[in-house]
Amino acid sequence: MSDVEKKIIQIPEITRVEGHAAVEIDIEDGNVKEVRLDVFEGTRFFERIVLGHKYDELAHITSRVCAICSTGHVLAAIFAVERIFSFTPTPIETKLRELMHLGMIIESHATHVCALALPDFLKTPDLASFAGQHKEKFLLWTHLRNLGAEIQTAVGGRPFHPVNLHVSGLSKIPSTASLEGVKADLKRSLDEAISLAELVLSFAPPVERLTEPYFLALIPHDDKYGYFGETIQSSEGWQRSCQEYKEYLDEQVVTYSHAKRSLVKGKPVMVGSMARLALFGNRLTREALNVYQATPLFKGDSNSIWNNAAQAIEIIQAIERAIEIIDEVETLKNERTPEKKPLGIVAGRATGAVECPRGTLYHYYEIDENGVICAADMITPSAQNTARIELDIKEVVSQSTEKEMLGPHLETLVRAYDPCNTCATHMVAINWK
Amino acid sequence: METNPRPCIAVEGLTGCAGELLVILENLDKLLPFVRVASFPFAQSQNDDGPVDIAFVEGSVSQPHDLEKLKRIRAKARWLVAVGNCAVWGCVQGGACAKCKVTDMLEAVYGQHSEIQALESRPLDAYVNVDVKLSGCPIDKTQFLSVTASLLKDHLPYITHKPVCLECKLNENPCVLIEKNLPCLGPVTAAGCGALCPSLGAACYGCWGPSQAPQMDAMATILSEKGYEALEIMNRLKTFGAPEHLFERMNV
Repeated sequence: MSDVEKKIIQIPEITRVEGHAAVEIDIEDGNVKEVRLDVFEGTRFFERIVLGHKYDELAHITSRVCAICSTGHVLAAIFAVERIFSFTPTPIETKLRELMHLGMIIESHATHVCALALPDFLKTPDLASFAGQHKEKFLLWTHLRNLGAEIQTAVGGRPFHPVNLHVSGLSKIPSTASLEGVKADLKRSLDEAISLAELVLSFAPPVERLTEPYFLALIPHDDKYGYFGETIQSSEGWQRSCQEYKEYLDEQVVTYSHAKRSLVKGKPVMVGSMARLALFGNRLTREALNVYQATPLFKGDSNSIWNNAAQAIEIIQAIERAIEIIDEVETLKNERTPEKKPLGIVAGRATGAVECPRGTLYHYYEIDENGVICAADMITPSAQNTARIELDIKEVVSQSTEKEMLGPHLETLVRAYDPCNTCATHMVAINWK
Repeated sequence: METNPRPCIAVEGLTGCAGELLVILENLDKLLPFVRVASFPFAQSQNDDGPVDIAFVEGSVSQPHDLEKLKRIRAKARWLVAVGNCAVWGCVQGGACAKCKVTDMLEAVYGQHSEIQALESRPLDAYVNVDVKLSGCPIDKTQFLSVTASLLKDHLPYITHKPVCLECKLNENPCVLIEKNLPCLGPVTAAGCGALCPSLGAACYGCWGPSQAPQMDAMATILSEKGYEALEIMNRLKTFGAPEHLFERMNV
């Protein structure tokens, strides 16, 4: 065994993902020894940045973790603080927060599915050829993305880094005229969203997968399909409060990457659209459910490439649900509501969790009696998915006989997870436990 | 082959939230008829490293890798445009570096013997010559398109840094600082957002970075008259990367 044949496959930079990541695979005698997903986005130290700031500054700072899921980071922080202060906003504000979140889901998913993932299947290496040769698909993206941006601007003040979401509610309730405008655009976009899902479903995954994923997602409120909840459901059957996340998620620092990895009982987990559909797909709105029931996902095919389709189905659901919410908000506007209670600042600690486009996001804070942040922890979806991506790559490479030719396939695979490396590197190791 | 090749642009990200990349991507359809996108790794797979007419750079320099990349971009670009608060001022990461040492943060984060390298987050002009600084968090798309149009016509664009108060008055908003006692940083923050927060009845929190010659001492005095503690005032003023020298005349 003197000359073991050793090879390294390197993809120095994965393009068309948020942030910066590379893949390195060690192969010995044709067998995959190790896969390393190296997130080389500069470290961001957000858990340190928020310390010493007042609770009302949190939303402004945490949105800067990530543009595309800024609304999620803002809401997770707000939910944690409101839990500490035992504060409940008015029903209308709760609905508008959900509407805002759906705007983010639409904008983020449309951008990922159309602008980042689709070029793999259309074989367009640059923007000019994508926009030139597939004009109608390019327009599909701009229309749906604009719709998400329009919702977030109407509720949050701008397409991302919202300025209207605060601990204790909204500084201004959007006018009926602006919400009706949004509703008309939502109705106009439903067919486009369905055609996007059908398009993505027509692209079969280039490679098979071997092991079944371990899914985690928040159980949505009110028996509806949704993104806010208190309790985590796993595909293994267990349920835990998100307040106890440190007991089921085991975060590890690795030497080769700026992003940490989360495992559950030593196993890689998968969070995001596929997890939500697998666990709560039966709660989808009408059109979304129709499309979902005709997909391989519904029959239990859990190939990660289908994450693109799962996101497209969630766009349909978000459009249908957003129309309902606008009607509910307008009804609530006509009802007399009791005077809003003032915010009572108390010391405490709590976790806020939301389902972001890419999966469950946890924000944990400790606040002193003056409302100043004294400890913080954030667990992003991409950090939870990283170990699963590495396992996926290992399986794909192991199955292939022409390993050198794999580069583009692997990029497609990593991209399907929609990894957000700007998010993943915000993790700082707080010595927990 | 085109006889008169279109100008080339590059869109690159250092360490940041990718917000400016998103704004540029979302407005690229308006530019595509006029430019060739030589490099935009966030949005396309085929990128080349050749010379470009305009390079838009997002993010702060927060690790050695960013610095090498920035120097490469500077060398190939005729105009270097810093886009977004991170690239112009250092944003929240730069603000935090002003409060605590990056080596301490690194140790707190990754342990004592980490191989991960981090630099104190700095804006681009701490290291290279920057031709145009377009702040915003995120940048304003209209401003971005007009800056690009100017550069494509070989004009250096004029960008004002008047305070947010100016836009707020044009919107005829009641003053949230004077009338609602909110910690509004509009008087010392660069306008461009259209006075977004005060128009919704909330306090400006300074995300576009400092205005031209900001009167930080007067701002601090008003906030302390409104009952805010010195430490909180400094925390709020420095969150979005305002450089240390602007605070020299202050004695809070």
